[in-house]
Amino acid sequence: MNSMRGNDDQNLDALFGAYRAACGTPDASANFMPELWARIESRQTFTFSFRRMANAFATAAVALSLAVGLYMAVPGTNQNLNNQSYIEALAEASTPDAQDFVNPITLELADRPSR
Amino acid sequence: MLVDFGLITRAQKGDAAAFNEIVTAYRKRILGTITRLIARPEDVEDVAQEVFLRLYFSLDQLRKEEVFEPWLYRLTVNAAYDYLRKQRRRQEFRMSDLSEQQVMLADAMAGGKAEQDDQRHKKVREAVDSLLGAVSEADRILLMLKEVEGLSLKELEKVYNVNENALKVRLFRARQRVLKAFGSAEKKEGSG
Repeated sequence: MNSMRGNDDQNLDALFGAYRAACGTPDASANFMPELWARIESRQTFTFSFRRMANAFATAAVALSLAVGLYMAVPGTNQNLNNQSYIEALAEASTPDAQDFVNPITLELADRPSR
Repeated sequence: MLVDFGLITRAQKGDAAAFNEIVTAYRKRILGTITRLIARPEDVEDVAQEVFLRLYFSLDQLRKEEVFEPWLYRLTVNAAYDYLRKQRRRQEFRMSDLSEQQVMLADAMAGGKAEQDDQRHKKVREAVDSLLGAVSEADRILLMLKEVEGLSLKELEKVYNVNENALKVRLFRARQRVLKAFGSAEKKEGSG
């Protein structure tokens, strides 16, 4: 069994040796460098476009944030909301028409049947 | 080292001529390694270009001169691994391939110094490619680097960034798997 295994080991090594010889060392074709640079430039273009797009998005986001910030900071806009407290706003919202809802309920006891 | 670190530093700064020199210096070695790793000559240049492409875009991360070559090896191994994984052309362990493999083995052992024609080389490549179907792509590459490229364990340690013992265990297991496949093929061959 062991001798079989040893034999296999040797055979495998011989096969790897034959494989090494069979592969050899190929030479690069004349197009190797031009193709490589074409791939590099293509990748660079893609990276550059992506970066440019990301920068544009970032700039737009900053501009939008500034615009919203300015809108919120400028006095005069949304003054009611800015100056009123919650209680004041609630009181203002309670119009006279809505008073029925908060007045105590009165019962007409006269209509009540006697025993 | 085939180039001096000054050249690498120039390439890091964007000097295209310096990068060209690095590619020219290492091209043959990388092509040879990839040929042995993937066993498909028609795709070797494509994978080699991918290696140098990755080198170009990661060159600025390199700090120490002594890690350049192991690092380039790692890029090569990774590109070959990605290629093999994409291909998934793992051949079934077929009886016909193995018979041919045995023929090639006998041929290689008996007539190693005899004239070598392209057809015979192709068959040997196909036989080994088929035999390595018994292990994963990662183990295949590790085995190739050790058994065919002839890298020492110390060199492999630098390429893989793992300790020697872990490599030994992994190599042993990979070789055992290949041997098992090889042995079972021989048994079939013998009984057939």
